[in-house]
Amino acid sequence: MPRRAKNSGRRTQRTRRPQRHKDVLHRRGGHRRHDFRCVGCRLDVSLDAPGTTHRNHCPNCLVSLHVDRRVPGDRAAACRGRMEALSMSARPDGEWMIIHECQSCGELSANRIAGDDNALALVRLALKPLRDSSVAHRMLLRL
Amino acid sequence: MSSTDKTPSHTSRTPNTVLAGTFTCAWCGLTVSAATVDGTRRNHCPSCVHSQHVLDHVEGGPSDCRGRMSPISVAVLRTGDWMVIHRCVRCDELTSSPICADDNQLILMRMAVRPLAQPPFPLEAFGDL
Ligand SMILES: [Zn+2]
Ligand SMILES: [Zn+2]
Ligand SMILES: [Zn+2]
Ligand SMILES: [Zn+2]
Repeated sequence: MPRRAKNSGRRTQRTRRPQRHKDVLHRRGGHRRHDFRCVGCRLDVSLDAPGTTHRNHCPNCLVSLHVDRRVPGDRAAACRGRMEALSMSARPDGEWMIIHECQSCGELSANRIAGDDNALALVRLALKPLRDSSVAHRMLLRL
Repeated sequence: MSSTDKTPSHTSRTPNTVLAGTFTCAWCGLTVSAATVDGTRRNHCPSCVHSQHVLDHVEGGPSDCRGRMSPISVAVLRTGDWMVIHRCVRCDELTSSPICADDNQLILMRMAVRPLAQPPFPLEAFGDL
């Protein structure tokens, strides 16, 4: 509540507010500067995610877009294929990483989960090898 | 499906690991036969499941990176088969390859359940999964 009062006091200066940080996914058009529309579920997603500096996937369906921004001038920058969550990986420190696979060119990428990612979608992904496969069953019988 | 044209057993197009009959595991040192029992070509060690970055999967030819590739995840195909995701410790390249019948099942299973051992939130809420 105190935050609201603070904001309303500033509202009159909004037109002169300086740009905060430049974003590579900067877009013209109807969306706000820090938004993108998910290619998987059409959700309007804000790029400011809690617990992550750069959001690179939809917090609802985990789908991403193949725009490689880590390596400037990377060959894949122009792909723009839909990247679906393929599997979950755990880093040595335990942090969950989503392995994304581009449906157009097959490229894989590993991305940290964000604080507001859909927990059910994350758990479903992590459980996939055990749920959607007879391999796990056969293995457990043999171990 | 022209698998017959590119499977010479003793041409010397590329040095060692790619086409030779055996390779030495970059992690555990095991000497591994490159061919599996069912005739497919092995790209990771069946004992420790580590691999080596010897193929450039974008260009299709050999890669000069040669970094060790550690297994980081298990993915499931639509068919239900498991794939192992490797990450190169030198250049961060990610690859996915089918598992083999004689791959170390304990290591694969441990990797498959690893995320669940350290969840970012309590899993009790998902008890009905
Ligand atoms: Zn979405
Ligand atoms: Zn792509
Ligand atoms: Zn090995
Ligand atoms: Zn490499």
